[in-house]
Amino acid sequence: MSGLTTQRAARRHGERAVPETPPTPGLPTGPRPPRDRAPSTAGPVLRLGSHIAVPVARRPLAVGTALVVLLLAAGFMTLTLGGLGIEPSKLLGALVGGAEDGKQAFVLGHLRGPRLVVAVGAGIALGLSGALFQSVTRNPLGSPDVIGVSAGAGAGAALFGLLLPGTASIPLGSVLGAAAAVGLVALGTGTGFGNPLRMILAGIGVSAMAAAFTQYVVYVVARDQATMLSSYLNGSLEARSWEHAATIGVVLLVCAVPLALLSVPLALSEMGDDVAQALGSRAAGTRRRAVVLSVVLAGGAVAVAGPIAFISLTAPHIARRLARSGRPQLLLSGLTGALLLVIADLVAQQVPWAQALPVGILTLGIGGVYLGALLVREFRKGHA
Amino acid sequence: MNPHDARPVLSAAGLSLGYGSRTIVAGLDLGIHAGDFKVIVGPNGCGKSTLLKAFARVNKPTAGHIALDGTPVARMKGRAVARRVSLLPQSAVAPDGITVGDLVARGRHPHHTLLRQWSPADDAAIAAALQRTRLTGMEKVPVASLSGGQRQRAWLAMVLAQDTDIILLDEPTTFLDIAHQYDLLELFAQLNREGRTIVAVLHDLNQAARFASDLVVMKDGAIHAQGAPRAILTPELIRQVFGLEADVMDDPQSSTPMVVPHVRAAV
Repeated sequence: MSGLTTQRAARRHGERAVPETPPTPGLPTGPRPPRDRAPSTAGPVLRLGSHIAVPVARRPLAVGTALVVLLLAAGFMTLTLGGLGIEPSKLLGALVGGAEDGKQAFVLGHLRGPRLVVAVGAGIALGLSGALFQSVTRNPLGSPDVIGVSAGAGAGAALFGLLLPGTASIPLGSVLGAAAAVGLVALGTGTGFGNPLRMILAGIGVSAMAAAFTQYVVYVVARDQATMLSSYLNGSLEARSWEHAATIGVVLLVCAVPLALLSVPLALSEMGDDVAQALGSRAAGTRRRAVVLSVVLAGGAVAVAGPIAFISLTAPHIARRLARSGRPQLLLSGLTGALLLVIADLVAQQVPWAQALPVGILTLGIGGVYLGALLVREFRKGHA
Repeated sequence: MNPHDARPVLSAAGLSLGYGSRTIVAGLDLGIHAGDFKVIVGPNGCGKSTLLKAFARVNKPTAGHIALDGTPVARMKGRAVARRVSLLPQSAVAPDGITVGDLVARGRHPHHTLLRQWSPADDAAIAAALQRTRLTGMEKVPVASLSGGQRQRAWLAMVLAQDTDIILLDEPTTFLDIAHQYDLLELFAQLNREGRTIVAVLHDLNQAARFASDLVVMKDGAIHAQGAPRAILTPELIRQVFGLEADVMDDPQSSTPMVVPHVRAAV
């Protein structure tokens, strides 16, 4: 054993006589000579002065860089492919120096520019939202989709679209619907957000009720608006404007600092409330902050793009598997979410059979397959 | 071992604990002195784990308070308490994919600040903790792939990396085979001899009697008896607290009291 314990003992028990006990022969864990060099478990540490020192994990850093590169590539393709695409050689000039002609201005400023920014922003928000939820519920299926955020948002959109015709009412309704669904789930569990399994069960009930209500509105009450509503209810990036882009941008900006502060407590809370508390963290407070942030982020994404399915479920999984880390990967989940949504939207724009399909239907299809594979894996592991 | 003349390092005064309207511990007083190896025993549901967790500020008292060196814990910062008191809990979850090294490193959290998430003492403390628990060289191994005994040692290593002078252990030997149980208990005894204060909840009365410097016997959320195992562990006490008829004799190995339950006539 190193001098650590003995020094401490001498300090704390300077005046007290601690009786000497003869060492037990053959004790398997007895003192050993100190090693010359302790192995560093922290890996490289980023240091700025004497007050800032943050360990940097190599693999997540590399994965993050790769995701950014892929995201740039997907964004490049979104703006350049197809008949209306900007010529690749002219894209950089148009982005930096402004559009050269009317076509470039139209594509960058109206048709694809805002749509791409909304896809990136909503993707980041959904990925973050899912990472937070899966972390606090300690359940790989605990995404805002599963506990009824999307279905609640849909019901809210349907109700508001019916009551207050106008462009702003549907996003507003969807955010309120999402919040109401989470509120109902919290009430329904009887333990707030304390019991993950109850949250998921209550969420299934709330989702079913919200979906039934939405269908009632679409089929019985609002047949005229049904076409418009149905496109929105599936989640779509068609005809996005810079206002949508600004909305999701503000949501992400507002959440950035609280998210950064939550990263360490969240990792501690994943080890159970008892451990987190004993290490000096506040488990209940961490959970509350994470759920609120998750709902705000999911609500923000729903407000600008409709309830896009499964990004929040799949992105954190993919991020965690890529990072091969025992920590919640908030930043990587956001980047993965953005990449998934931009690629899905690229397919919706460019692949013939998917033309004009709301992007939400595409993510629903891909996500459904992913969820199935995930469930099979969990069943095999005996967790679910 | 324990001249109780000094002020306790950790104390409970008029402590009541409960969940919702259910009271589990009512008006309890207990002092833990530096150098103690205190073992809390009692029947299931007597409140011993709840009491232990309250000392690690896991659950909040409904009345009374817990003090560390005379300062109420409620007025201290979480990390400040966690630099003095650590807990090996029963219900710990190893996150998916976490390695032994990463798990043990998390014990250093109380020594970090918002911006300084690594401190020079970290490496030494982590290496020492790994060595104590015979896990040196296994830093990169996923916790999920460890055996039951190794896994418990990995959690203990996290607690040791926290480097506190008071260590709380909640049924640390449950689910381990008998060799691993004594392995851990000997390690706790060694840590205690080096000056750490140990408070453990144990189920096995014979193990409690063998290792405790001071035994706390709880029943129905209150302390029924307290003192050196030899002084308090009697057939009378076991009947009153556990409702079990038993003889108490000397353990032939350690000469500490040993409880031998009577054979019951078949019904």
